[in-house]
Amino acid sequence: MATSNNTIVKFEKVGIRYGTGPEVLRDINFDLAEASFSFLTGVSGAGKSSLLRLMYLATRPNRGLVTMFGKDVTTVTRNELPAIRRNIGVVFQDFRLLNHLNIFDNVALPLRVSGAPEDVVDKHVSELLTWVGLADHLKALPPTLSGGQKQRVAIARAVIARPRLLLADEPTGNVNDAIAVRLLYLFEELNRVGTTVVIATHNEALVDRFGHAQLHLDKGSITHRRVEPNS
Amino acid sequence: MGPRSDLPLSDNPAIRILPWIIALMVYLATLTLAGGLLVATMADEWSRSLTGALTVQVTPTKSESSVELDARVAQATRTLLKTPGVKSAHAIPLAEISAMLEPWLGPESNIADLPLPRLIAVTLDRELDREALAQRLQKTPGAEIDDHEYWRTHLVMFLRSLEIVAVIMVSLIGVTTATIVVFATRSGLAVHLEVIEVLHLIGAPDDYIASQFQRHAQRLGFIGGVAGGVFGVATLLGLSTLAGNLDGAALPSFQNWHWPVLAALPIASAYIAKWTARRIVIRALTSMV
Ligand SMILES: Nc1ncnc2c1ncn2[C@@H]1O[C@H](COP(=O)(O)OP(=O)(O)O)[C@@H](O)[C@H]1O
Ligand SMILES: [Mg+2]
Repeated sequence: MATSNNTIVKFEKVGIRYGTGPEVLRDINFDLAEASFSFLTGVSGAGKSSLLRLMYLATRPNRGLVTMFGKDVTTVTRNELPAIRRNIGVVFQDFRLLNHLNIFDNVALPLRVSGAPEDVVDKHVSELLTWVGLADHLKALPPTLSGGQKQRVAIARAVIARPRLLLADEPTGNVNDAIAVRLLYLFEELNRVGTTVVIATHNEALVDRFGHAQLHLDKGSITHRRVEPNS
Repeated sequence: MGPRSDLPLSDNPAIRILPWIIALMVYLATLTLAGGLLVATMADEWSRSLTGALTVQVTPTKSESSVELDARVAQATRTLLKTPGVKSAHAIPLAEISAMLEPWLGPESNIADLPLPRLIAVTLDRELDREALAQRLQKTPGAEIDDHEYWRTHLVMFLRSLEIVAVIMVSLIGVTTATIVVFATRSGLAVHLEVIEVLHLIGAPDDYIASQFQRHAQRLGFIGGVAGGVFGVATLLGLSTLAGNLDGAALPSFQNWHWPVLAALPIASAYIAKWTARRIVIRALTSMV
C-alpha cells in the first residue's frame, strides 16, 4: 500500500455536540496520511457520520483542532471553502442525489461547479458511468434506480473530479455482500492511484476481510485503532 | 429550453407566478410611462407657443362704425410696433375672423354688422414688460392684452407635475417588481435548501449557485416583461386609433423616439429581476455554512 508521511487530516482533542445536547464526539485524536486507506467503525449512533461531517467541512468542531490539508478549519474563510471541498469526494449515507437531474448530470456536477468544459465533462462522465456499469442509464432519473444503482451513482459523483480524499458513509449499506466487496475493490483501486480513503461502516466482517487501518468509535471516543498492515 | 440548471427552480409555484406578475407590472409601467411621455410632449408644445407671441384685442364700443374701429386697430398696431421688443404686429383681417367664426354663426351672417372684437397678432423678439405695454395701450380705448397666457402658464405647470407623478409611479412599479422578485427568490431558496447544500458540499462557490437563480430570474423577468410590454403597446395603439377618429389638433401624439423608450421597459424588468435575485441569493448563501 502506498503510504507517505504527508498528513492530510489531523484531529486534536476534537469535540462536537448538537445544540445543547451531550458531546457526541469527545477528545478525538488521530491523523490520516496521504494515500492511506482506513475504515471507520462503530455501532449505529457511535458518531461515524458526525466525524465524517467534520472532515467534509459541513460542521465545525465545538472544541479542539481539525486540520485538513494543512489548514486549521476554524480559520478557513468562506471563499476558501469551495476549493477545499473540491479536494474531498463524499458518498453520503443517503446518497443525496439530485432527483431532478439525470444520472449523467448528477455525476457531472463536481466537474461543472469547478468550471470544466463540456467536452471534458462528457468524456469523463461517460467513461466513469461505463466503468461502474451504468452506461445504459445515463438519462435515468435517480428515483427510478435501485438502491444499488443509486449507490454507484453516488460513488461515481464522489470520485469523478479525482479528489485527494474520499469519504464514504456506509457505502455498502444498501447492497448485498457480493456487491459490497466489488465496491471495496473500486475504492482500493482509487486508493492505489493515490486517493486517501475513509469508509465508515458498521459491517465488521467486511472490515476484517479487507484488513486496512481501522478507527473504532465507541460512545463518542476513538477506543480502538489498528495500524494499516503492509500487504 | 433555457440554459442547463442544477436547481429545479421552475417547480416552485411562487416562482412560476413571477412572469405573470412581472407582465402585469410592465403593462402598468408601459401605460404610465406612455401617459407621462404624452403629457411631456403636450407641455412642450404649450410652452413653445407661450413664448415669443401674444395677442392684443380691441373691443368695439357701442354704435361705433367699423371704419372708426379700423382706425383704433391701426393706432394700437402703431403703438405696438413702436414698443421695443415687438418684432411684428398685424391686425388679423376681418375675413379671417369671420372664417374662424363661420362654424358658429353660419355662412349667411354679415360679420361686419356684428360688434366683434378685433385681434392683433404680435410676435416678440425678447421677453417684454407686460405692465409697461398695457400702459402704452391705454392710449387706445378698448385695447388690451389677451391674457390667455396666464392659464397657459398654469396648464404647463400642471402638465409638468403630471409628468413628475408619472416618473414617480414608474419608479414605484419598479420597486414593487423588485420586492416581488425578493419574495419569489426567498421562497426558491427555502424550497431548494437541500440541493443548495449538496452543491455547496460538492464545492460549488456561492457565485455558481447565485448565477443559476439570477439566470432564471432574468429569463422570467424578460418573458413577463415582453408580454406586458406587448399588451401595453397594443392598448396604446388601440387608444390612439380611437383618438385619431377625433378631430384632435389638441391631442398630443406619440413621437418616434417614444417607442424605444417604452421598449426599454421589458429589458429593465429583466435586469431588475436578475440583480435582485442575485443580491438576495448571495446574501442568503453568505449566512450559510
Ligand atoms: N443533526 C443532529 N442533531 C442532533 N443530534 C444528532 C444529529 N446528527 C446526529 N446526532 C446524534 O449524534 C449521535 C451520533 O450520530 P451519527 O454521527 O449519525 O452516528 P453514526 O453515523 O455512527 O450512526 C447520535 O446519538 C445521533 O442521535
Ligand atoms: Mg451514520
